[in-house]
Amino acid sequence: MTVEGLCQNNDLTLIAGANGLQREIEGIYIGDMLSWVMGRAQEKQLWITIQTNLNILAVALMADISCIVVVEDADIPHETIKKANDEGIPLFQSSLTAYELAIKLTGADVL
Amino acid sequence: MKELALHILDIVQNSISADASLINIIVHEDTVDDRLEIQIKDNGKGMATDLLNSVKDPFTTTRKTRRVGLGIPLLNQAAQECDGSLEIKSVEECGTDLIAWFRLSHIDRMPLGNMAETIALILMNDNDFDLQYEHCFNQRKLTFNTQELRPMLEDVPLNHPDVIAWIKQSLQEEIDELYQQPIKG
Repeated sequence: MTVEGLCQNNDLTLIAGANGLQREIEGIYIGDMLSWVMGRAQEKQLWITIQTNLNILAVALMADISCIVVVEDADIPHETIKKANDEGIPLFQSSLTAYELAIKLTGADVL
Repeated sequence: MKELALHILDIVQNSISADASLINIIVHEDTVDDRLEIQIKDNGKGMATDLLNSVKDPFTTTRKTRRVGLGIPLLNQAAQECDGSLEIKSVEECGTDLIAWFRLSHIDRMPLGNMAETIALILMNDNDFDLQYEHCFNQRKLTFNTQELRPMLEDVPLNHPDVIAWIKQSLQEEIDELYQQPIKG
């Protein structure tokens, strides 16, 4: 599926990067240590994290991640939102935990 | 990164790329002030003000092969997450001086990691720069300097496997001594 399909999901709110909604999603990766994610996440994966620093967008670009979901309603700084728009990387927010969200997305056939 | 030593390795790579002939690595651990400070100083080609001002931004890099560089941004983030910060000064044609500090007891502060291994890895790189390493734990201090070592080695290159193995072992012993409890009595 494409990232656009996630926009109907009630657990997710699109915050930024609407110009990247046509990106394909193939699987999910969960992780908060950026250097680790950079080396382990596969391209086209949806990335679930609690990190919100601007660095997440650099990691997403380098790992060719399809979109980022910030869980547990972690605050997203303005500069991160702006950069997600500039780079066209969809950035969502969710109140669920990474675990709860992953289960729901699996049920919703994102994988 | 899971260890601060990996950050140090990464930052030192910048110094080597900047053609430094002398690199200083200084680690200060102070349990009284609850502070861990890492300083990496070089005499390389330095940075122009424009680059220096944007160096904490991950979308800044001197590499031609990709648009983003994460060495300094990740260390900056790690320091900030532990109530610390990162400061970097640089003068073109003179060198760069980076200091990152952390609250030593912060729960998110990653371990320092294996510094003996890290110094050995850096020295394996190449041979055309000197390295000074200073490591303090409260009042104790160890220093290591390749400039003092070279005359003793005579014609043997510093990155000879036997020399590297010896450096690693003796540094490890000295670091272990730093952390030992003082004998009371």
